[in-house]
Amino acid sequence: MAATAGGNKIRNAKLVLLGDVGAGKSSLVLRFVKGQFVEFQESTIGAAFFSQTLAVNDETVKFEIWDTAGQERYHSLAPMYYRGAAAAIVVYDITNAASFTRAKKWVQELQAQGNSNTIVALAGNKADLLDTRQVSADEAKAYAQENGLFFMETSAKTATNVNDVFYEIAKKLLQGQQVQNPQGGMVLNQRPPERMVRGGGEECCRIL
Amino acid sequence: MFGIQTRDVAEDFNSWRRTLRNTPTVSMPMNNHNIMYNTGKSLFNVHLMSVKFEDLYGFMVEGNVDDVNVLNEVRERIREQGRVWWALEASKGANWYLQPKISSNEGVISVTSLKLSVLTNTITLRRLIRKGVPPVLRPKIWLSVSGAAKKRSTVPETYYDELIRATEGKTTPATRQIDHDLPRTFPCHPWLNSDKGQASLRRVLVGYSFRDSEVGYCQGLNYVAALLLLVMKTEEDAFWMLAVLLENVLVSDCYTDTLSGCHVEQRVFKDLLAKKCPRIAAHLEAMGFDVSLVATEWFLCLFSKSLPSETTLRVWDILFNEGANVLFRVALAIFKMREDDLLRIQHIGDVIDILQTTTHHLYDPDELLTFAFDKIGSMPTNTITKERKKQETVVLAELDQRTRRLSSLKMDG
Repeated sequence: MAATAGGNKIRNAKLVLLGDVGAGKSSLVLRFVKGQFVEFQESTIGAAFFSQTLAVNDETVKFEIWDTAGQERYHSLAPMYYRGAAAAIVVYDITNAASFTRAKKWVQELQAQGNSNTIVALAGNKADLLDTRQVSADEAKAYAQENGLFFMETSAKTATNVNDVFYEIAKKLLQGQQVQNPQGGMVLNQRPPERMVRGGGEECCRIL
Repeated sequence: MFGIQTRDVAEDFNSWRRTLRNTPTVSMPMNNHNIMYNTGKSLFNVHLMSVKFEDLYGFMVEGNVDDVNVLNEVRERIREQGRVWWALEASKGANWYLQPKISSNEGVISVTSLKLSVLTNTITLRRLIRKGVPPVLRPKIWLSVSGAAKKRSTVPETYYDELIRATEGKTTPATRQIDHDLPRTFPCHPWLNSDKGQASLRRVLVGYSFRDSEVGYCQGLNYVAALLLLVMKTEEDAFWMLAVLLENVLVSDCYTDTLSGCHVEQRVFKDLLAKKCPRIAAHLEAMGFDVSLVATEWFLCLFSKSLPSETTLRVWDILFNEGANVLFRVALAIFKMREDDLLRIQHIGDVIDILQTTTHHLYDPDELLTFAFDKIGSMPTNTITKERKKQETVVLAELDQRTRRLSSLKMDG
């Protein structure tokens, strides 16, 4: 739904966070929405909802964020949250190789079951814990490139790259001119040709 | 190591339980550091001023001055309700509420009067429990009416101690997950945030994960077990309440691998919402809002993560005495009490805001329960049972289909 406020276009975008238990999904959201970090974030049951707006040039994106529970058995609830999502952030913990494996499964599921227009970002969280790293940035970057994902290493604790992930998603959403329709699905206005956006540097991305 | 003494958590509670026993006033920090002003229009409205205070079960919570006043009224009502219970105890005899079912070997009284007294007691007890069990009586009443005491009586007295001993030093996926969640379970409660509290909670959860390996440990149970510990005071009693809850009170498979029981309850709830609150259901559906987005957590945590503690426990009073259908009534009531507001709004985020604000400030349990029992209408048990059966078939088929789709995906990959 596109609305205008003070001449600004506001775009609502549903965003879902998926990933292994303890990867730091809730912490990323808390950092982005409230600028806070707590060592022991209450475990999420089902999912928690947050909203946050971001201004990109003269446009505004209002994120409706679903932060999902990470335990394996909650997997069966996930479709309810990623259905109709404009964007997804798949989170893993760089100090936990199993969480990276789990992240790949989420990507696979999103590609197969989710909306083909969903922008998927891969976030390697806890990037401040370099001493205990188990997943190399190169490995994750290569995987992201292969699968057309937008990749960043983040730290909810130090705030590194957290806002950047959301900002990049917002930019891509606006570039894609995607608006969410009231039924929860995505309507693509003026569908752009499939393209690579800003392939250089640390990031690569493709609208899936 | 742990002995009986460490497992009797009652001693630890003394520091914070004074609120319950002596019912002092709520501690209201009055220095500027702790008082936060709400932003927006109501900047100088003292009633909306945010304060931190300790609630009836020792949780440090944030609310406004109205919440504090309501909580004080609730305290007074609990005292009054306590007097009603003591008066009945005086007239009906001590522990009358523990034996609503008369055993067959009491041949002295005639059969007719027996049945009548059983019936009277059952009805009286139900009416009383709906009005609230005084916190001090909760452990005794819950163990009895839920069937937990009976469940415990079927195993040797050493069952819990032996179970815990058997789990010592063992690591399983469940224990790993439990350890991960311990510091993340109500960190706003000083006792649960302490080493002692977390060790108690760990033993209850780990113990249960070994009792039922199909459930093992499911996130959400940490909140349920934590609140049970605060109420029951001893680990063993909390453990048996958890057991009776999962094995007898709730529908089966709420917490097992695919949460199928939880899916079933969600569908039954949606069906009830369409019947009991058709305007809300239609409006939310038109907005593309799936009520399970919020209700899943309510049902998995039995409202412990959403409602204030005493309000949650009033729901649990009824849950243990009357069964799981009260969860539907309460969930419907939360929607129903905000019907006008919900019908006005157009954004998904606003629905969530309204529901979260409502549940967060529901310090008056009677306000919620009056809605749940007086404004929702009849909800016959057999209708719900039938609906559950119907939905179970659908849910199991869908989950099976999904599993197969995902596993074929993995093979392709």
